[in-house]
Amino acid sequence: MFPPRHGLIPMFWTITLLLLALAGGLLAVYAPTEATMGEVQKIFYLHLPVALNMFLACSVVFVGSVGYAWQRRPAWDDLAQAGAQVAVLLCSVTLITGMIWGRSAWGHWWTWSPRLTFSLMLWLLYVVYLMIRPSIESPQRRALVSAVYGMVAFVDVPLVYLSTKLLPDIHPSGVDLDPAMWVTLIAWSIPITMLTAGLIHARFALNGAVRGAATTEPPVIPTDHRPRMPEAHA
Amino acid sequence: MNTLRASLLLAAKDLRIERRGYQTLGLVIVLGVLIVVVLAMALGTGGAGPGPGAAAILWVAYLFGGTLCFEKTMAVERQDDALAGLLLAPIERGAVFAGKLLANLTLMFCLAAVITPVGILLFHFDLSAAPVRYALITTLGMIGFAAIGTLFAAAAASSRLQGGLLAMLVFPLTLPVVLTSTQLMLATFDPARAQSGAAGLSILVAFDVIFLAASWLAFDLLIEP
Amino acid sequence: MLISAQQAEFTAERAAAGAAPAVSADGLGCTIDGRRVLSGISLEIPVGAAVSLLGANGAGKSTLLRLLSTLVAPTDGRLRLFGFDGSRATAALRARIGLVGHQSMLYRDLSLLENLEFFGKLYGVPAPRERAMHLITRLGLAGREHDPVRALSRGMTQRVAVARALVHSPPLLLADEPFSGLDASSAAALEELFEALRSGGTTIIMASHDVAQSLRLSRRIIALRAGRVVLDAPSCSLDAEEVLETTGGGG
Repeated sequence: MFPPRHGLIPMFWTITLLLLALAGGLLAVYAPTEATMGEVQKIFYLHLPVALNMFLACSVVFVGSVGYAWQRRPAWDDLAQAGAQVAVLLCSVTLITGMIWGRSAWGHWWTWSPRLTFSLMLWLLYVVYLMIRPSIESPQRRALVSAVYGMVAFVDVPLVYLSTKLLPDIHPSGVDLDPAMWVTLIAWSIPITMLTAGLIHARFALNGAVRGAATTEPPVIPTDHRPRMPEAHA
Repeated sequence: MNTLRASLLLAAKDLRIERRGYQTLGLVIVLGVLIVVVLAMALGTGGAGPGPGAAAILWVAYLFGGTLCFEKTMAVERQDDALAGLLLAPIERGAVFAGKLLANLTLMFCLAAVITPVGILLFHFDLSAAPVRYALITTLGMIGFAAIGTLFAAAAASSRLQGGLLAMLVFPLTLPVVLTSTQLMLATFDPARAQSGAAGLSILVAFDVIFLAASWLAFDLLIEP
Repeated sequence: MLISAQQAEFTAERAAAGAAPAVSADGLGCTIDGRRVLSGISLEIPVGAAVSLLGANGAGKSTLLRLLSTLVAPTDGRLRLFGFDGSRATAALRARIGLVGHQSMLYRDLSLLENLEFFGKLYGVPAPRERAMHLITRLGLAGREHDPVRALSRGMTQRVAVARALVHSPPLLLADEPFSGLDASSAAALEELFEALRSGGTTIIMASHDVAQSLRLSRRIIALRAGRVVLDAPSCSLDAEEVLETTGGGG
């Protein structure tokens, strides 16, 4: 089914999908239905692991950015970009699942609750990272500006969180779960984390390939003129 | 030459250029007034006005005006490659950042001094309840905002980044400052929401410190002839 | 007459430093945006030399000058300027270098005097206003010192740009085509200034298009082609046609 020389990555994806299927099965038959919210509560098992992995992806942007600023190797920039792409994806999922939850728990799709606002601000932060990149022509410059943005954005994350604390809160803060819920949550966390890592790796490889295709080899100009070194200088 | 003196010298140079024709301030003030007027109209010309929300509207006008200031003061350095002249000089690059930041803040204060009365007039906004607190929140908010703005103006200037995109870089990063200061404004002028006062102010100070430190450090990476 | 107290101080320092060469480059290379602009540049230019850099457009003359001015860091190779590490531009090193670029590096809304005084202060020149006035007079611009730079002609702007680079009396002057676009009188004034600087001990490295002028003004010719040194010889041993042929015409 898969070419054997690339065996590791397909194997990784197969395991991830199997674990995800297992987690889905657990959700359907094992996880208890919550008393007040009913079935909708089960979106929580997707929401929380995705939200946590979003921070993982943001850290990858930070690591890639610091790496680029330090060593100026384009591969670091590919990594930072991959992190941002996955961060935006996960942040979107977090926002959507959060909104579905909010709709059934509080009756509105959107409230300016601290965590929803936080997710929205984080989403904007990393969407801008991706949107601004194509408008910088020079590849080195693009990587550098992105790296600085990626570093400042990561420093910004706790500040965004702190600032939303000023808003009135209705989000559930403490997680009060019975053992069956914990099992389901962990069963979901593992494949979601693997999915995050796999996606970042895939985007990283793709970004590198795209960059490789875009940069043409510098032309080699044959020089038939040898330097003439005379005996004495002025 | 020490960094503080160099920064002051650079800021004085920028303001001297500004005084030659008020090109930046003229533009920025008109933009600020436009924003205030448009928002005043959008929120209804007949009614009582947005009340305490007026402070937040003014604040938005300062920020958009500020972004234009950052672009303009950096464009001066781009013309005739004057920036290379600064980078050749035996001064810290931090001084170039600090000088630009000082010049930008001065321009933003001038902007605020003109459009705040306009806002007060149009919105029937009573600033007299807490003028000092208003000025304090505005100043603190502007410092953090201008730090990030000055940093990315340097990036935008040397990357041939199109004009409007600077706002796009700066706003998401400074959202915490914007959110905190507007929340503080509302808390100050709306008695119903006066709970998050002191904590918010210290958060704002912390943001300023972090943004100043981060942009001071990163400026060295971004500034290029 | 252009030698200020500051320059005398530099001269003394230089003597103490054991007369390190003004420029000592070894295998210098520079890549900008994935494009190899310079490679394998090895040079040694002693203090007080007058060197012309020749080459066609895009041969790497400007990049080499920006490298020597510490504005651009080399991608590989080793660069020492007056014995200092050229890839780490300290204030002490920058104070020894003056660069006349393609563009004037002046603020066009400020007057000549304001521009020069500003840069003088930036370099910590003891009496910046007097120094600025001295340079303005020396370059034949007296009477125009309060005019904004935007009101000057190309030739006058170029003279002010040279004054800007000389405001701190640098022992190394780098000039990127300082004579391009100048009328005869401006060119003559500038040539005379360069001659005076050279006899005062200033090291001058000048990029140029004009082979005949380079042969006249410089003692040594370095020609670049596609980012490499293709000719390095005393100017007395060369004639213009030979140089033109080596640089691939257009030079």
